[in-house]
Amino acid sequence: MMPTSLPTHPLARYLLHLADDQLVMGHRNSEWTGLGPILEEDIAFSSIAQDQVGHSLAFYEILHQRYGLDNPDQTAFNRPENQMLSSWLVEQPIGDYAFSLVRHWCYDQAVALRYESLSQIQDPALHALATKLRGEVKYHTFHAHTWMKSLLHGSEESRLRMLSALKEVWPLALGLFESWPGETDLMEEVGTTGQGWYPGEQKLQMQWQARALESMASWGVDVEASGLQRMEPVLGGRQGYHSEYLAPLLEEMTAVFRLDPQAEW
Amino acid sequence: MYGGGYVPAGAEELKAPAENPELLAQFEERIARGEKIEPRDWMPAAYRKQLIRMIEQHAHSEIIGALPEGTWITRAPGFRRKLALMAKVQDEVGHAQLLYSAAETLGKSREDMLNDLINGKSKYSNVFNYPAETWADVAVIGFLIDAAAIVNQVANSKGSYGPYCRALERICYEESFHLKQGHSVFVWLATGTSMQREMLQSALNRWWEPIMHFFGPSDTMSQHTETLMRWKVKMASNDVMRQQFLNMYVPKIWELGLSLPDPALRKDESTGQWLFTEPNWDTFFQVINGNGPCNRERLAVRKVAEERGAWVRAALRRADARYATPLA
Amino acid sequence: MPILSLDPRVNRLQAEEVPAHQPPVLIPGDHWPSYQVFHQRRRGEKHSSVGIVHAPSLEIAMAMAKEQFARRGETSNLWVVCTADVLEMDYADEEVFRTTPSKSYRDPAGYKVNDKIEAYKARQSNL
Repeated sequence: MMPTSLPTHPLARYLLHLADDQLVMGHRNSEWTGLGPILEEDIAFSSIAQDQVGHSLAFYEILHQRYGLDNPDQTAFNRPENQMLSSWLVEQPIGDYAFSLVRHWCYDQAVALRYESLSQIQDPALHALATKLRGEVKYHTFHAHTWMKSLLHGSEESRLRMLSALKEVWPLALGLFESWPGETDLMEEVGTTGQGWYPGEQKLQMQWQARALESMASWGVDVEASGLQRMEPVLGGRQGYHSEYLAPLLEEMTAVFRLDPQAEW
Repeated sequence: MYGGGYVPAGAEELKAPAENPELLAQFEERIARGEKIEPRDWMPAAYRKQLIRMIEQHAHSEIIGALPEGTWITRAPGFRRKLALMAKVQDEVGHAQLLYSAAETLGKSREDMLNDLINGKSKYSNVFNYPAETWADVAVIGFLIDAAAIVNQVANSKGSYGPYCRALERICYEESFHLKQGHSVFVWLATGTSMQREMLQSALNRWWEPIMHFFGPSDTMSQHTETLMRWKVKMASNDVMRQQFLNMYVPKIWELGLSLPDPALRKDESTGQWLFTEPNWDTFFQVINGNGPCNRERLAVRKVAEERGAWVRAALRRADARYATPLA
Repeated sequence: MPILSLDPRVNRLQAEEVPAHQPPVLIPGDHWPSYQVFHQRRRGEKHSSVGIVHAPSLEIAMAMAKEQFARRGETSNLWVVCTADVLEMDYADEEVFRTTPSKSYRDPAGYKVNDKIEAYKARQSNL
């Protein structure tokens, strides 16, 4: 495989990490299709997975057209693991439905914030794209919220499962906001509001955490006792260091494509 | 996608209690006039039973049908195929949802239907008991099995039971997307590299017999079959549907220079009928009775999916929930 | 021994073969009650009944309805209503509507005046 070197342009690198996260998240979530907890939810969750893969495609397309990356299929299906910028959160196996739902909730809240900020970019194409994709993410967060609330208020078992998934997911979710080379450059870019459109990872994390903790408190979770606030993030993804799960995931995802990467499938 | 090779109940099993002749006459007149039967209408017990059985088998075929293609959902090559396959398998689950809902209007709960699927009491289309060994199987299933399913479903959509027809109307629309995407994968492989072409030819060879089995053996025109046709439960004979399928799709396979593993297969231009070697019907019945290559896997997977979701459903089940049979 | 599958997802599920005498996996009510779904394609058009979803609450019913009944084509709005809250007329009572189409005095077509006017005009011109 020809290693595609990572883009040096800060915006390109940022878009690549968005794209890689969406691809890997959508791929993982698609593992539930046909195997979900009830038919209706099977369908809903599959749509979310499709949206995510679709979003990654949209970003790879821009990266290809503007920043000289290979076409989306090659970029997604023919890239070495250490060139991937996905977070550890999205790489983890699907676990039980509690894990997948809590991850979905944490993840899509973060995506919503990123799209909110991206929709203030001056670049017209990216502004339009972020605005368009926000509608889909609004459904994702509604879906995630509804399930979180319902299952945290459901049975003793569901509450325990959700709380235990929260503890498992939280440090991984914090890793979504890992700082990355080029971050400070991107923060200087002025957006439509006359100020920087990209607040930087630290600020995004604070916004995300405030929203998440507020929701949890409203669902009766004792945030203080949960110990979530004392947890350390799991880092590495944004630098190309990955959990043990990414390599097998990529191997599976690209199994057919790699039979002949130059063929048309 | 679905399923011919529908296994009707034997005449014995359907031995109906004597029906009120006046109501029966009204019912049959309504159907003869081309009107639909709606859920809370009076209907002969045998009609209800047969329809539940048929719609239920169809629903099972959709949910189980999601599994052979699902085999490749995490490995679809490239964005276009990845998204299309996800959407297609999702549609199968969606079709199951629509069909279970239609069957529910006749008085059997979704839980009972799924229990009967898992314990083997209720059948589904035989074709899903075969494995999808390579990516090319996705092409053959998406193109040819879906094409066969459309022949079957278009016929059934003109049947007499309102909720089933309505479900089929939407299903047929979505199937046309499946057929198109299946044909696209099929054509891409057929016109691709020699490796891709060989992959497709070998999948075609493996699937041909299950496809010939798809519509089931020739119908024996019993009085029972006649009643089902008069009631517009069964809309076309298995042979008629098989001929229709061969006529529409064999040329589309041959035009790509691919072969089918039946030297006798040809169209008799004088009669317009297709001639072919009878597939082995013993195999067909073997597979129906649980001895196909994937029967055990399919049921085990459905069972584990229901079990793994049990806590989610149980957590939100409310003792005071009021169940009502779906309206339509 | 878990089933060995060609589907890597299935292998990760570690599914066991269904035993010969499998008791029911689902109890009654396991899949929740149903909600009727109404779909509006565009603003200004009416909502139409499109089917049901099984759900434990109105909110989840809405989340489910969105993808089962609005994942293709245009949608502007959805309603969900608990099926048990709907009162349905009995089809056996359909005869109460039998005479309605013939009540011509309620329809514009029931009022034909042109013949009268034409006859009147003819009479006037013959005077």
